[in-house]
Amino acid sequence: MATLTPDFCIIGSGAGGSVAAAVLAQAGAKVLILEEGAHHTRRAFNMQESWAYPALYQDHGNRATDDLAIIILQGRAVGGGTTVNWTSSFRAPERTLGLWRERHDVDIDAATLAPHYAAVEERLNIKEGTFDDVNRNNQKLWDGASKLGWQPELIRRSVKGCARLGYCGLGCPIDAKQSALITFVPDAVAAGAELRPDCRATKIELEGRRVVSVVAEGPDGPITVRPRRGLLVAGGAINTPALLLRNRLDSNGIVGRRTFLHPTVPVIGIFREPVEAFYGAPQSVSCHQFADRLDRVGYVLETAPVHPMLAAIAFPGHGEAHRQIAARLPFVQATIALLIDGHHDDVGGAIDVTAGGRINIAYPIAEPLREAARDAIKNMARLLLAAGAEQVMTLHDDPVTIRDEGDLARVDRTPFEPQRHTLFSAHQMGGCPMGQDTRRSVVDSRGRHHAIENLWITDGSVFPTALGVNPQLAVYAHARLFATQIARQG
Amino acid sequence: MSGGKALPRRGFLQKGLVGGALLLVGGAGSLALRSTRLSSAPRGPLKLLSLQEHAVFTAAAARIIPAAPSWPTPEALDCGGKADALLALCHPEVGVDFKRLLTLFENGLFGLVTHGRPTPFTRLDPAAQEARLDAWRRSRMALLRSGYLALTRLTHASYYSSPEVYALIGYPGPPDVPAEAR
Repeated sequence: MATLTPDFCIIGSGAGGSVAAAVLAQAGAKVLILEEGAHHTRRAFNMQESWAYPALYQDHGNRATDDLAIIILQGRAVGGGTTVNWTSSFRAPERTLGLWRERHDVDIDAATLAPHYAAVEERLNIKEGTFDDVNRNNQKLWDGASKLGWQPELIRRSVKGCARLGYCGLGCPIDAKQSALITFVPDAVAAGAELRPDCRATKIELEGRRVVSVVAEGPDGPITVRPRRGLLVAGGAINTPALLLRNRLDSNGIVGRRTFLHPTVPVIGIFREPVEAFYGAPQSVSCHQFADRLDRVGYVLETAPVHPMLAAIAFPGHGEAHRQIAARLPFVQATIALLIDGHHDDVGGAIDVTAGGRINIAYPIAEPLREAARDAIKNMARLLLAAGAEQVMTLHDDPVTIRDEGDLARVDRTPFEPQRHTLFSAHQMGGCPMGQDTRRSVVDSRGRHHAIENLWITDGSVFPTALGVNPQLAVYAHARLFATQIARQG
Repeated sequence: MSGGKALPRRGFLQKGLVGGALLLVGGAGSLALRSTRLSSAPRGPLKLLSLQEHAVFTAAAARIIPAAPSWPTPEALDCGGKADALLALCHPEVGVDFKRLLTLFENGLFGLVTHGRPTPFTRLDPAAQEARLDAWRRSRMALLRSGYLALTRLTHASYYSSPEVYALIGYPGPPDVPAEAR
């Protein structure tokens, strides 16, 4: 078995792992990145769903909660989720950072993060949003929100020279998306880091309070890594807790609990004119009108691209009724509501692993989330009708068709139970929360494990709740903060 | 720090007492699939499913996307073969669960319980097959609704990701990459 001895071993090459690798390598450390996914580049990105989901997503596109109620879209490749995300870039809302400080004992504020956001935004070319990016799908969101006085916003995007093809989620074929795949991973490698794709970490071995080795399964067999200075885990907010649980590092039952998904509720508007929501920048407009609903769960409105396969699994039912919806694909607009979980009494979901290593994700839809979902569906319907939709269709198992305000009451009468409404998650957070209270958190506010002195976690699993906006940029910034601290400690 | 407790297994066909009972039914594969009506032969060697399991999936897919003029059938697009290939990539426990699901769906005795017909799914007429599929869709048991979603999503994914369908749904397909961006 091959044995490697870097200063730092980093598990995962997504937002959290890549920027940490770049920071540490540029500080002179010898860094090894283990990535379980493959190293695909733009020439492989053929914009076909039949290739992209099995090749670039966790569980080959089949990741879901145990009961299949929530479809989970999560990247698995060099670049991690950034290789397949839709480029939307938000800083963490002050509202969320305040909640983390007050209720979760997290010692981070906006000023602490500001230089790290600035550095990441510079590298990823994140600039103010522009109307040039707004396709018809997003224009409907803008128009509807504007007519209702709900103040839509342009989304900042991590792109350079974007041709607005519309296929960010299947890998950018022209390298316009400034993913980790073409930014921080190459930066790290240029500074001397070694990248090992197709290499899945399985074992973490300790001596006392220190990690002494990591065992990984690679394409040429198992390898052992003996990191001289430390281990950084950045496998994402499902695989990181699962790795710790497989190694019985469960921090007295905290690991894997409080997993948050931004459960995402779609509705579709059917328009008389073509929307062609399969083309153009996938997300360029958002609406935060309902993000803060005081004592009720809030939500953010955005859009989703409407490609055939993703749309077909989102549309409810089967048979001729399903086909009739699919046949109107060019006329479909998709608006989504991201439910902001974990900011109230809801506790999210839980990860565990079987004896055979399979990851299980349990996520009960608590009543406060159901209330938010119903409210979101009604408001999305109002928005799409205001934007000119001929009709709005919910994605309940028995869809509710809405043509005017009078139809909205039917949404409240229609069951919102697991498997009776299409739900997605594209944002996974939590499971290894940060905080200063060792009884309620796994790592401290700079990502260091409370009980293992040379183990850090640098991904979205450290978020104590859902973020309330798309988390890619916040994961980068937190990981950069943590890595900068690690580098300073020598 | 290290709890070390044994973690419960929670595959989607193994939840609670009811799930356990269903698993027993689904686990009796050799008996339940003995009378399965085989579909036309798979296009190539199957990686995970047996011929019988492939036949059950193919029969279910034919109900999920019923024949219509000018539309290819799921069988014509080899949805069964595509599903088999995808499942073979997944964690082995996913494959085991899906095979159990197909066995349970085909099982005539279980069909008697869910909607009153003691006939294997593959031997039902189309109307009765639709009734069984709909019984799972609308079941009060979350487990059966999960099974319905597994069958329909896999069928829809393999069918609608096929370029042969694009024109029928008004999808022009991916655009050409601008030459200057190559």
